[in-house]
Amino acid sequence: MSSLSAFGDSSIQTPSKSRIRQGCHSAGPNVSGDHINLVSSSMPSFPILQRSSEEKILYSDRLTLERQKLTVCPVIDGEEHLRLLNFQHNFITRIQNISNLQRLIFLDLYDNQIEEISGLSTLRSLRVLLLGKNRIKKISNLENLKSLDVLDLHGNQITKIENVNHLCALRVLNLARNLLSHVDNLTGLDSLTELNLRHNQITFVRDVDNLPCLQRLFLSFNNISNFESVCCLADSASLSDITFDGNPIAQESWYKHTVLQNMMQLRQLDMKRVTEEERRMASLVAKKEEEKKRESHKQSLLKEKKRLTINNVARKWDLQQHRVTSIATNQDRKDTDSPSQDSCQMDGSTISAFPEETGPLDPVLTNALQGLSVTDTHLVEVEGDTLSLYGSGALESLDRNWSVQTAGMVTTVSFTFIEFDEIVQVLPKLKMKFPNSLHLKFKETNLVMLQQFNALAQLRRIDQLTIDPQGNPVVNFTLWKYYVLFRLSHFSMQKINGTEVTQNDMIMAERLFGILAHVASSELPQYRVISILGDARKKQFRYLQETKGKKPGIVNEENNDSKRLVGENTNRAMLNYTTRDFYNEKLEEIKEKKKFCQMYIEDLVKEATEINKKNEALQKLWPQMFIELVRDAVIEIRSKNSYMKLCLQQITDQK
Amino acid sequence: MLSPERLALPDYDYLAQRHVLTYMEDAVCQLLENKEDISQYGIARFFTEYFNSVCQGTHILFREFSFIQATPHNRASFLRAFWRCFRTVGKNGDLLTMKEYHCLLQLLCPDFPLELTQKAARIVLMDDAMDCLMSFSDFLFAFQIQFYYSEFLESVAAIYQDLLSGKNPNTVIVPTSSSGQHRQRPAVGEASLPEGVEASLFSQCLENLCDRHKYSCPPPALVKEVLSNVQRLTFYGFLMALSKHHGINQALGALPDRGDLMHDPAMDEELERL
Repeated sequence: MSSLSAFGDSSIQTPSKSRIRQGCHSAGPNVSGDHINLVSSSMPSFPILQRSSEEKILYSDRLTLERQKLTVCPVIDGEEHLRLLNFQHNFITRIQNISNLQRLIFLDLYDNQIEEISGLSTLRSLRVLLLGKNRIKKISNLENLKSLDVLDLHGNQITKIENVNHLCALRVLNLARNLLSHVDNLTGLDSLTELNLRHNQITFVRDVDNLPCLQRLFLSFNNISNFESVCCLADSASLSDITFDGNPIAQESWYKHTVLQNMMQLRQLDMKRVTEEERRMASLVAKKEEEKKRESHKQSLLKEKKRLTINNVARKWDLQQHRVTSIATNQDRKDTDSPSQDSCQMDGSTISAFPEETGPLDPVLTNALQGLSVTDTHLVEVEGDTLSLYGSGALESLDRNWSVQTAGMVTTVSFTFIEFDEIVQVLPKLKMKFPNSLHLKFKETNLVMLQQFNALAQLRRIDQLTIDPQGNPVVNFTLWKYYVLFRLSHFSMQKINGTEVTQNDMIMAERLFGILAHVASSELPQYRVISILGDARKKQFRYLQETKGKKPGIVNEENNDSKRLVGENTNRAMLNYTTRDFYNEKLEEIKEKKKFCQMYIEDLVKEATEINKKNEALQKLWPQMFIELVRDAVIEIRSKNSYMKLCLQQITDQK
Repeated sequence: MLSPERLALPDYDYLAQRHVLTYMEDAVCQLLENKEDISQYGIARFFTEYFNSVCQGTHILFREFSFIQATPHNRASFLRAFWRCFRTVGKNGDLLTMKEYHCLLQLLCPDFPLELTQKAARIVLMDDAMDCLMSFSDFLFAFQIQFYYSEFLESVAAIYQDLLSGKNPNTVIVPTSSSGQHRQRPAVGEASLPEGVEASLFSQCLENLCDRHKYSCPPPALVKEVLSNVQRLTFYGFLMALSKHHGINQALGALPDRGDLMHDPAMDEELERL
């Protein structure tokens, strides 16, 4: 027992706290307190530790100094083979005076006031370093501790993981209850099996897949909110145990499934065993989500295609209407010359009704993906109860074999960018194929005359009519609504352009146009009535005959229908609409007849005038002729005898 | 019936004047077109009905424009039909645009040309903004003049242009503005702005026109009357005056007087019944 007094200043008192208490409790190796003496040394404020030789021999490799009210590490002399050193629950602020204990394997400085890791550079054999519950702000100065097996830094103020990349023997790393905001820089920890990061502020985790042996990872009570921020965990093959409780992510509905599905190797989640059932559920949910994503992607592609198609149709329409004279007309012509794909875009809800259409959908999709610039020139769409047709090419779609279910559901038909005259021609088809269509909408259809509404009378029934002002000049007329109500009064329409039809409207309509109907029906000669009605019927007949699948049954039905119509509304039925083309066609046809009539009448006139002339001439000549006749007769009878002979001669000649 | 004047005309002329051939041709044409339907109830009946309707003026309903235009009687019948069918629109007080009136015309005649309606509108609006609204009576009377006397009016327009540009050697003053047709009809005494042409000169030319014109024209006496009231007038002013003149309307015989335009008791009765 010798005391080192380098400076010979023995007046420095040892701090009162260094009084040794009897029977101090320590978790580590027990050392009876009486044998420990902390003597004041000549070195300023460093107590010197001395143990009795009995102690030294008994517990040669371990020394416990917990709860000794130490504020500094005492100088430990003559204990060079010390292997375990316990400084728990003191007030030590710096790690000092242990550089000579080069055999140290276990160093416990739990619950002190250490602010910086230092003074460990000589402890090359150190395997367990417990620095929990201190005030350490930074991981540093661990360079030489290459054998470190357990490093406990919980309960400190560490903000960043660093300077641990050389600890290739480290198995357990505890950084719980620190100030970490993220996890990375974990390369080199090739033996790490347990990493405790509970109670930090971690938002994302990286580099965990670089830890080949990591089995347990505790991330409870952090700030992780989505799986993407910890996605590196999915790539770690070794992880079997993980905790996320106390994170925002654990509150999400998809939490368990997502974690399980991304980390199929997990055995425990949040300290609970992962069952087979849970795993199966997870993969199922994953599949469903994948499908949903694919589905929504497909939907958005279809939507885009639809939008482009409508734009294309609109442009073509504008050109047709000569509204847009663009320099790029050549380019447009090229576009429209390309074969228009007759594609049918349909909502997911109706796909089941069209099994024959699901086949070509995929190539359509791939085409869409390849080049959205090659767009169609028309669009047909069925969405629930609405059938929308864009572009005149869409009218052909009415010929398709619509399933009864789908067709029956359609109550609204909307026409856009199609000439009304073209629509008129397919109205009979519409009537047949979509019997429940009650609401018709027209936009950009070139409705210019009131007369055109006459064509709508042939439908079975219309409840609502919407004529969009855009592209339909007829809406600018003051009287258009009344005319519609008048002409289509047999439909008892309820709404026109969104506004309810009132009784007053109907009365006004009748008042304005009632006379027209009266005149049309009662003042026309009978043959005109028949011919006009006959015309209408003939037209419908012709349209029907042009559709595929003509059945005699339907034809009869049509006849009955039109007969019924005639009975209902004879006076209105006179008011028909013939499209301009048909009208001109008819006039052309009549030309021939007219010419013939003209010639015929001319001939008659010639005859008549000739006869007249002859008559006139006769009138003029008659007096003279009469006189001559009488004179001839008198001369003849002058000589009775010769006359009698003449007569007899004549009689015999006759025989 | 067998009046001497009738028999005085040579045959073709007579036929032409009365447009007999037109109706005959049309009748035969209609017969040919609808022979299946007509053969059911007999040709004699058909001819009866046809000529009856010609007399009543209902033969022009829903017929093509070329037929409606063919004879003065057709034109008058058409005007009358238009009045009867759409009088209620006028009675209702709605003011409509030229396009809408054209639409109504098309209800009765699907291929009625827009130019005629436009010209009629010009008379009412004095060639002003063509989108203006017009009352039923204004439009109807202007339309009557335009439609019934279309050929006559064309010639008048030519004469007017000539007078304006001073081709007539008798012209005293040649007033010019860029367009010959002005908005206001110059009131009597407003000689500060020389517009239009001199009335008396104009009247002379028109007289000559009426004499040699083949087509129907308004009674020359009445034309003179119109022109005697003013010193100068513009083309449209003249037309407007024509359209407003009672006498001419009566001479035409298609429409009632302006005051009675909205009255048609027979039709009103029918309407009540509906």
